[in-house]
Amino acid sequence: MTVVPQGGGNVSRGGAGSGNLYDVLELILDRGLVIDVFVRVSLVGIEILKIDARVVVASVDTYLRFAEACNRLDLESGRKAPTQLTDIVGDTVESGARGKSKGALGGAMEAVAESLTGGGKSKRDEAGEEAEEAEEKEPVERRRPARRATRRERERGQE
Amino acid sequence: MAVYVYSITSDRHPLRLDDLEGVGEPAAPLRKVVAGPLCAVVSDAPEGLRPKRRDVAAHQAVQERLMADGTVLPLRFGLTAPDDGAVQEALEKRAAEYTERLEALRGCVEYNLKALQQEEALLREILQESETARQLNEEIRGGNTSPDLPLRLGELVADEVQARQESLASGVIEALRPFARDLSISQPTGDDFVNVSFLVAEDQEELFLTTELSVSNQLGDSFDFRLNGPLPPYSFV
Repeated sequence: MTVVPQGGGNVSRGGAGSGNLYDVLELILDRGLVIDVFVRVSLVGIEILKIDARVVVASVDTYLRFAEACNRLDLESGRKAPTQLTDIVGDTVESGARGKSKGALGGAMEAVAESLTGGGKSKRDEAGEEAEEAEEKEPVERRRPARRATRRERERGQE
Repeated sequence: MAVYVYSITSDRHPLRLDDLEGVGEPAAPLRKVVAGPLCAVVSDAPEGLRPKRRDVAAHQAVQERLMADGTVLPLRFGLTAPDDGAVQEALEKRAAEYTERLEALRGCVEYNLKALQQEEALLREILQESETARQLNEEIRGGNTSPDLPLRLGELVADEVQARQESLASGVIEALRPFARDLSISQPTGDDFVNVSFLVAEDQEELFLTTELSVSNQLGDSFDFRLNGPLPPYSFV
């Protein structure tokens, strides 16, 4: 597989090498040609695709989580810098120490946010192991992300 | 013996299968089943096959090798037929359809794009741009413990997040649509705001890639774009 040249800051590239098998897993497991007279082997792992996508109704839980995330935001850099661009730069610097792509939430919430965002590379590698973990029948609880109403609602709209 | 089926190609495909490993442990050697103008790439099906990382990767590696030398119809992971004869029969039965698909996909590859905006940056934007959200947030931070406030703030923010993510998704998709022959939009998962596959023809690939890069650069560092490809056209078979 050809590796597309590396782009800007947080752009990750590449084919289906081990690093990003997770990102193409849904294509391999859930797309592709199906020949109806063939038998599909029992694939426990198929369920892992649905974990993140499960529909959660807009709920008190969701609202509280967002409110808490906002309360924890350090808005100082935002107040000082009026333009959006500057804010983004400030934000990057601020979050840089904790590693890119981590969620907003500090402390205990950070772990949750990490599983939400799919985090940095190490996080994705870990996620990539899921095809294997699925076999051990423990995938669901392990990386159950925090509730997100918004995307779930949108998905329902699409279906 | 049951056979695991990987892909369908034209019988003119060179099918360099020698050093490739199939699914199973130990890995099964690959072979082809010819049916008129079509070939199926198969191996003996291992007992108790499950979607282990190694097997999924092997399935994918076979597709990648095949697509390097010609057009391929990738099968979904995990399909088995009772024997070679059944594979042959299945191909013959739908020969016209598969031949047509192979022709339609010639010179095309799939790119899958997933992207997210870091939540912190997204929430920051919302608080900066929504007066109401900012006021609610400041009241809570200022020590007002009314249980109503976090709910109001949360609902407002949740709605904003949804609206912004939808608008980002359609913006990104529309920017790339002109360079794709077809596209397939899926549910984003986790924190992603977009999950879309594009079918890109050879002569548009460079423009597609340049545009994607330019879009991700424009959006800035709080965004994480994950473009995977070129892939076999899983979403367009």
